[in-house]
Parts: sequence; C-alpha cells; structure tokens
Amino acid sequence: MLRFRNTFTDGVGFDTVLVMLALGYLVVFSAYPLVYNIIMSFQEVDLFSLASFDRPFVGLDNYRDVLGRPEAWTIFLNTVKFVGISVAAQLTIGFGLAMFFQLDFPGNSWLRGLFLAGWIMPALVVGAVWSWILAGDFGVLNHALLSLGLTSERIFWLSDPDMALYSVIIANIWLGVPFNMILLSVGLAGIPEDIYEAAEMDGATRVQRFFTITLPMMRAQLGAVISLGTIFTLQQFDLFAALTQGGPSNASNVFQYWSWQLSFQYYEIGVGSVISVLMILFVILVAAIYVRSTRAEHVA
Amino acid sequence: MTRRYTRYGLCALAILFVAIYLFPLYWMYVTAMKSGTEIFANPPTFWPRDLHWQVGEIWTRLQMDTYLKNSLIIAAGVTVIVCLCGTGCAYVLARVRNRWMDVVLFLVLMMQVLPSSLMITPIFVAFNQVGLMEYPRLSVVLAQAAKVLPLYIVLVRATFLQVPGELEEAALVDGNSRVGAFLTIIAPLARNGILVTGVLIFLQSFGEYVYARSLISQRPLQPATVGLQSFMGPNTSDWSGVMTYSAIYVTPILIIFVLLQRQIVSGLTSGALK
Amino acid sequence: MKRLALGCSALVTLATAATAQSVELDLWTIDDPGEYHYVLAEEYMQANPDVKINVRTVQFRDMVNDLARGMATGESPDITYIDNPEVALFASRGLLLDLTPYIEASDIVNKEDIFPGPLSSVTYEGGIYGLPRGANTIALYYNADKFREAGLDPDNPPQTWAELYETAKALTTDDTYGLAFSAVATEEGTFQFLPWLQMTGGDFDNLQTEGAVEALALWKSFIDDGLASPDTLIRSQWDSTGTFNAGAAAMSISGPWELPRMSKEAGFDFRAAMLPIPTADAERASALGEGDNVILANTDNPDEAFAFVEFLYANMDRVWNEFGYLPAANVEVSDPDYPEIYAVFEESMKYARNRGPHPEWPKISQAIQGAIQSSLTGQAAPADALDRAQSQIDKVLD
Repeated sequence: MLRFRNTFTDGVGFDTVLVMLALGYLVVFSAYPLVYNIIMSFQEVDLFSLASFDRPFVGLDNYRDVLGRPEAWTIFLNTVKFVGISVAAQLTIGFGLAMFFQLDFPGNSWLRGLFLAGWIMPALVVGAVWSWILAGDFGVLNHALLSLGLTSERIFWLSDPDMALYSVIIANIWLGVPFNMILLSVGLAGIPEDIYEAAEMDGATRVQRFFTITLPMMRAQLGAVISLGTIFTLQQFDLFAALTQGGPSNASNVFQYWSWQLSFQYYEIGVGSVISVLMILFVILVAAIYVRSTRAEHVA
Repeated sequence: MTRRYTRYGLCALAILFVAIYLFPLYWMYVTAMKSGTEIFANPPTFWPRDLHWQVGEIWTRLQMDTYLKNSLIIAAGVTVIVCLCGTGCAYVLARVRNRWMDVVLFLVLMMQVLPSSLMITPIFVAFNQVGLMEYPRLSVVLAQAAKVLPLYIVLVRATFLQVPGELEEAALVDGNSRVGAFLTIIAPLARNGILVTGVLIFLQSFGEYVYARSLISQRPLQPATVGLQSFMGPNTSDWSGVMTYSAIYVTPILIIFVLLQRQIVSGLTSGALK
Repeated sequence: MKRLALGCSALVTLATAATAQSVELDLWTIDDPGEYHYVLAEEYMQANPDVKINVRTVQFRDMVNDLARGMATGESPDITYIDNPEVALFASRGLLLDLTPYIEASDIVNKEDIFPGPLSSVTYEGGIYGLPRGANTIALYYNADKFREAGLDPDNPPQTWAELYETAKALTTDDTYGLAFSAVATEEGTFQFLPWLQMTGGDFDNLQTEGAVEALALWKSFIDDGLASPDTLIRSQWDSTGTFNAGAAAMSISGPWELPRMSKEAGFDFRAAMLPIPTADAERASALGEGDNVILANTDNPDEAFAFVEFLYANMDRVWNEFGYLPAANVEVSDPDYPEIYAVFEESMKYARNRGPHPEWPKISQAIQGAIQSSLTGQAAPADALDRAQSQIDKVLD
C-alpha cells in the first residue's frame, strides 16, 4: 500500500503528470489544426466553406489532381534539396563555429553573442536585406564578387532558374547558423574538461578526441539540432515570400510555399491541404528517425 | 609568449567571422540612413551619401512604444507558459525510457510540422468559436506557445541528459522525494540549457507575425512585427523607414542579449558539474 | 447571434461614450492612416456626427482571405475595398449587396458617367456590386535627359513595339538598362502583360494568337538582349520603377502611383508616353487597376453604408491630386498635378480594359504568369507556353 502511494507521488505518477501537462497542451492547440488540414485534403473546399466540416468528400481526387501536375515533381525535388543542403550546411558551420568559440581567446563569449542577430531580426527585414544583397544589378554580393575578380559577369541570383533555389538556401543557412551554434555551444560546455585531459594524457590526438569524446557526448544535442533544423527548414516560408516567390517558373518553389500559394493565392484549398499532408508524412519520418536515435543516447 | 599571440590571432579571426556574418545587420543600419532611391543605386554605396536619420520621427509617428510593449507582453507570456508546461516533460523524456515515452517524443515533434501560415485558418476558426478572440493577445500567446513548445521540450531534454543520473540517485538516497530532487537538484543543474532555450523561445515569440496579424485586429494591441508590416504596403514601402523601424526594434534586444549570454553560456555548467 | 453581439456592442457604446443612437460602420481597406479611406472617413464623420466609421487596414495580399474568413465566422465588415478582378468572386457567391436600386435612386451616382472598364469590373451578371473608388493604368515613363544623351528626341517617345525596342537598345549602356518593367509571377505580371496581348486582338480567353507569341518574344528579347534586367522576372512594378528613379533604367512601364516617389527621388526630367502599340495602326489597350468600394450583403445598415459609399464616389475629382490615382468616372479635375503626365494617363484610361471578370480569376491569372515566366526563362518556347496556359484556362472556363 505504501509502495503504491510512493509510485504515485514519486514514481510513474509524477512522470505521467509532467508529460501529460505538455502533451495535453499540444493536443488542444496543435493537433486540431493538423487534423483539420488532413480532413480538408479529402474534401472539396472552397474559400467560403472554411468554417465548417460540412463539405463534400471527394476521396483521393485532390491527391490525384496535385500529384498529376507537371510541376509537382520539380517542387518535390526542390524541397528535398532545400532541406538537405540547408540542414547539412547549418550544422557543419554551426558546429565549427561552436568549437571555435570554445577556444580560449579574449572576447570569445562576447563575440559569440553577436551571432544571435540573425535570430532576432524580423523575418520581414531579413527577407528585404537579403533581396538587396542578392539583387542582380545593384546587389552587394555581385559587387563584391566582381571587385574581387571572382566572377566576370553578374550572377542573377534570384531570377536565374539555376540559381534561385540556392540563393534562398544561402539566406536560410545564414538564418539557421546561430541556432545550431548556440545550442551546440551549450552542449560543448557541458562536456567535463577532465575527460579531455585524461584522453590527452593517454596520447589521443585532437582528431581522435573529437571522434571518441566530443561526438558521442554531443549525441543528444546533435540529434535534437538536426531533427529540429529539418523541421524548421521545412517551415521556412518568409524567405520564399521575400526573395523569389517560388519563381522564376517554380524553379525555387518548395512544398511549404506551394501549399500556401495553392490555398491562399489560387484558392484551391483542398489541393493545398494535400501538400500539407505530404509534409506531415515527411515529418513523421523525421520524428521516427529521431526517436530511434535517442535509444542509443543512454548507451553512450 | 607565442600563446598570447595565438590568442589574439584567434580573436582577430573571430572578429572576421562575426563581421562576415553580421553584414546583413550592417546593411540594415546603413539602409536605415539612406534615401529611398539610393537603396537601388548601382554600384551600391557602403556608406550613405547624405545621412537620413529619422529614428525620432518613426518612433513617434508609429507609436512604437505601444507596439513594443505588446511584443514584450506576448513574448513573456509565451516564455512563461512554455517553461511551465515544458520543463517537466523534457525532464521525464530524458530520464524515463520506455515505449510510451518514445510515443510521446514522437508526438511532440510531429505537432510542429506546418508553418504558421498554414495553421492559422483552423486556429482562427476554432478560437472564434470558443470565444477566445475576445482576448486577442492571449490568443496569440496560446497559439504561439503551442508552436514553440516542442522546440523547447526537445532542446531542454538534451540538457537534462547531460545531468548525471547519479546525482539524482544520491539525492533520493538522502531522503529527497522525486519532486524535491527535481526542483532542488536537477533543475538548477540544467538551468544553463533552460535559460538559453528560454531566451531563444522569447526571441522567436518577439518576432511572431502570422498569428498576431490574424488574431489581433485592434491597433493598440498589436505587436511590433504587425506594426512593421502595416507601414510597408506594396506601393508605399519606405525602405529606409522600414529599416529604421527594424533597427529600433533589434538594437536593444541585441545589446541585452550580448550582455546576458556572457553569463549564461560561458562558465556556468563546467563549474556546476565538478 | 450576430444581432446579439451588435446589441451588446451598442450597449457598450452607450455606456462608455455619450453619443447615443449612432450607427457604426466597419470599413476594411488596404490604405494606411493618412490615405484615401482614412481621410474621407474622417471627413464624413465630421459632417455626420451620428455615424461612426471604424477603419481597419488589411494587407492587399491578405484581403480576399481575410474577408472570406470573416464571412465564414460572422466577423466581416459592412463596407470594404476589393481589387477589381476579385469583385466577380464575391458577387458570384451572393456576398455583395447589389447596388442597382440604390444607384437608380441616387442623385449623385450616374451609371453613365462611369468609364466602361471600371464599370465592367463592378458588374456581374447584370448587377452592380460596387462603385470604383478610382482607377489606374500603365504608361511608359522615360528619362528625357538620357534620351538627349543618347541623341534621341525626348519629344518623340517610341510609338510602336519596334520603336520601343530600338529606343531601349539605344538607351542601354554599361550601367543603365533601356527599359524596366515587371514580369513577376503575381497578379502584377498579368496586369503588365494583358495590354500587350489585347493590342494584338487576344485576351485572357484567347492566348493562342500570333500577336501573343510576338508579344512574349518581344518581352524575351528585352531580357535576352540585355535591354532589361533579368531580375524583371522577380521584381514588382514598384521595385522596377525604383531602378528607373535611381537612374539605372532609362524607361519604365508603370502607373500613376509612382508619381509622388518619382517627383521626390528622380533627379531628372521624367515624362510619360502611352504604351507603344504593335504597329502604327493597331488597336490600343491598357491595363485597368485600382479597386472598388463594395457593401457586404449581410450588413445591418445598408442605407447608411450606401450613403457613405456615395460620399466616397462624390469625391472622385480629388483622387488624382490627393491620393495618386485616376478618376474612374467622367469628372472634371481642376488644376491637376503633373498636367502633361495626367493627360497621358487620362487618355490611356479610355483604352483600359478590365481583367476578366471571372469568379476564378486567380487561376486564370496564374496560367498567364506561368506562360510569361516559362518563356522568359527559356524553359518553353513562347508558343508552347501559351498553348499550355490556354489549356489550363480552358479548364477553368468550362
């Protein structure tokens, strides 16, 4: 009897309450919109029938419609490129910078703080500034490249179909670096100094120490940063709106922007919801991989 | 002796990195001081030809004090809700391993898949039906908290993982209850990560735009991001004004954060764990 | 439910403010304080103390969505601004008040005075669902100083497409483009392209014409031959004209909304000419922009709402000098600012044609934008791009 009460106040019961607090909140405020989107993807939805579920069901018609469009495949590939390249680059640069600022030199923590500027500038302003930097004629980037002799002709970052997607990726990497760097810094700061010292005494090189100590100790942080980075990248919307609007001719369009265009610019809400559902499926995959990766955390 | 030179060399390198990274920020400040047409000048000018300083005018004309106050209220509200609801969950997810916890972690991550621009319609309809729209700022706080809660949980969970389990066991052996051990031993040890993540959440919510635009219709209740958008319509965009506005908005937070992060990221953990 | 809410708010008004029996009208607009709706609402309230008008700014690109959502949840305004091509969408659902009986009874509004383009934009299946607040159209701005530098006669701007091409070529230098325009993948791109199509006898429902191919090929040659910036594909009209004001382009195709900024920032002799036509004897056409004041069908105060809309209409003669667009009806504008440029736009207005009307205009527009963008980027030949757009539009029209 005593044991039972103890479990409840000190054991599983305590855990359950804490978990349910957060999960309950999310179910109330986030699950509904998701379900709503999923239902709409099977319905014929009109701009004026948004408020009720009383709409004709059309089965998989919306799915057939949208997947049959010639631009669907291009946009899918763009999305994969956008997410893959952004996350990889953000992580590499962020990790590199985090380790660099871990070194002992004057002003290291102070200078590191300045990187957060990217995180606090309003999205609207970030978009505008990057659109000027990347502008073909009066853009600063072209000006710099031309003056340094790195290129002989102006590059039309935003309007050249071969470049447009990469331009958005560049701006997105810029946005994501502080997030990666600061969180990985916290992780690095949490690794006890004496482990390194012991390894150094055992004659481990810098590279060996990185692979045998830093990486394994950072496993949880890395898993979190990668999975969240993927999800953030998949949510990136403002940069597309400010820089290319998915153009020219869908060359830089991605699922999240296309879904918005279909629903709110062309008022094909059912079809736009199909894209949302596809994104949900993708995130399910990412979340599953992340959860699997956390199994190994305790072994390390 | 060489060690000192290395240190200054590293510092110079760090300044170079920061300079490259902060170029967009610099461009924001410079543009704020340019005239409208100079923004489109070719070649670009790295320093304004004639200074065009209008901080005071923008501040009063747009009543930025009200906007910034609302932004602060919203960001603070979100941060409080998220810390209250999320910290415990993150802790449990870090400590307890079983099939159920896997499911919870999975659900938490899944909940934040769609961009706000695709979530807002159902939220608007639902909030309207339950009458939450009578409290527009609260609506934004509730919706935004749901948006960033998963982020908070995942990040703080990673921090809790770094707190050695032995410390908790020792506390339990000493006669603490789970609740007591969590509040007095574990949470303080993870305060570093909690603080940093809390700051990130605060900054994210300070810049929230999509929900605030749709859920708050009265000007006196709107946050600064909505105020910013409201004076850059398609044909009235006064870019130097926009950048001035944004400089006013960014500068104080940047200063505060640079000062604060010195305390939070550096030193604290290593000291605590020894 | 709505009535109950209104009753409550009326009670609150009674309790807080001392102004009894006032009528409240909600007005949504794309204007910011200091512009058309704010200024005129203020004046109207001064003259009619028993009417209170609550003006709310909604971003242009959010207007249709916000209105639809407002209607779905019972939070819609009494009066709103709607962009021309969207009127048909709302009218086709019976969401707008048919103003025909009000106009017939009105001493101020006379249907015959409204220009045909703007009138067609508010007309849907025989009903009149709004009153234009003004109109705008596009013309060719040019930098007369650069004309002189290039040895061209600034009093003789290009009249035909061939002349436009030659002039643009002559004006292009290392740091100046000959021409700025907008081929962006938004409604603005459609807005800029349609007149070129219409001048050759085509329209949104008839894209597969030789003239359409020629027009697209001309646009493509502007970019391919370096006479216009490749960024034309992603720049709005406002941003494109910004490069003209900065001296980075010698001509620019845009509308009267540019004038306040241009007069402040363009440090040169700027002038305007009518949009060039394919050949000297071809039909003229121009775009029709701006929007309309409409009353929502579910308003509780239709009479008061119409009285205000009528008042807005009665101030049409002020829109050029005070708000930067053209009158949409035959009114006398005394002492217009920039008289020569006003004369060009006023003449162009006669040829301005409405986009549509069609309830699914955004889809039609999207198909046209697709054709423009895919041919200008070289992904499809102009003829193929137009064929594809036509088949997309035919699906919508069926």
